[in-house]
Amino acid sequence: MYRYPRWPIHLALVGVSFLMLIPFYWVLKTSVTGENIFAYPPSILPKSPHPFYYVDVWYYIPFARYFANSVAVSMIAVIANMVLNAMAGYALTRDFPAKAFVLLLFLSCMMVPFQATIIPAYLITGRLGLLDSYWGLALPQCSTIVCIFVFKASFDAVPRSLIDAARIDGLSEWRIIWKIMMPLAKGAIATNVILSFIWSWNNFLWPLIVTRSADMQTLPLGLARFLSYQEDTTGALYAFCIMVLAPGILLFLLAQNEFIRGLTSGATKG
Amino acid sequence: MSTEYVEPPLWRRLIINRFVLVPASIVVVVLVWNAYVATHDHGVVAGRVVDMSGQPVPGATVVLWALNFTTYVEKTRATTDSAGRFVITDNDSHNIRLAAEKPGIGRSARVPVRLYFRAQDIQVREPLVLAGT
Repeated sequence: MYRYPRWPIHLALVGVSFLMLIPFYWVLKTSVTGENIFAYPPSILPKSPHPFYYVDVWYYIPFARYFANSVAVSMIAVIANMVLNAMAGYALTRDFPAKAFVLLLFLSCMMVPFQATIIPAYLITGRLGLLDSYWGLALPQCSTIVCIFVFKASFDAVPRSLIDAARIDGLSEWRIIWKIMMPLAKGAIATNVILSFIWSWNNFLWPLIVTRSADMQTLPLGLARFLSYQEDTTGALYAFCIMVLAPGILLFLLAQNEFIRGLTSGATKG
Repeated sequence: MSTEYVEPPLWRRLIINRFVLVPASIVVVVLVWNAYVATHDHGVVAGRVVDMSGQPVPGATVVLWALNFTTYVEKTRATTDSAGRFVITDNDSHNIRLAAEKPGIGRSARVPVRLYFRAQDIQVREPLVLAGT
């Protein structure tokens, strides 16, 4: 039983949610009407909506190819994030010499923007012979420090006695991660999947630098190419945005419960 | 009456969940759509040409323009039969315009026709109306 009525809070939240959704609605509306976004007074409801701007996008650029490239790169990034971040997160829950220094190093590395490390990243990728390849596109996003800490927070919440019991039963550290910790860290897994997918899916700068052939470009590069091709792009441009946004939104809606649980795990104790 | 919860078997839990069902539904929709496209992409554009009184116009020339990047270019021509019908069989675009003309009767406006996919077979509902010269 609450001490105060809840409906004012819910009403306020609905209002804020509505405001947040207005830009998305406007993009969706423009993608099916092609209306001038600067028209005044603006029309709230779409007039004569049709799906043909989506058809235009599909044929003006090799959308299917870009989509497949983005999916391939995102899949590599998601799987690599799951494996590498889980291992790193588990390691950070253990005691080892200079652990505080490693944590400090990780935290300080978060302050270095990717633009500052892009030249060494490019040189390393080139030395590995991965330029203009899916592996090269995914390489810098194969592990992210934020997601390592998400796993660490989730693993920290697992009782130490459970890990000790698994060790007494003869499980190796490797199997403890995959058999004990990971099934208990569904929220962290969902958070890792969503964040790594969205960061990889929306990445523009790295694919721009590392790709050479048009066939290896991803959707954000396709958007830039599309803009350079077309003059009157209002409807098709917004349709393109919807087509790029849709997979990320779908993934978030599918895993939102686990995502929120993963972000808040470790926030409260006891 | 027992209300004890019985956990479903593993295979059911693995398959009957939103992470499988939603992508599977999308795959099914995509497959059905592709099957539809594969069976309706012969490039056939059919329609009728009439005069201002609504009478069919035989022998009229129908021109199909297709969007080439930013401008429409003429792709093909056809001639109407005795009932004023025309059939174009080699359209490979998704964004076309149609117009008809016959010397002595007049010409029609260019009618934009948007298709859901390239070379979609379509029967144009509204006839092309020859009006003036």
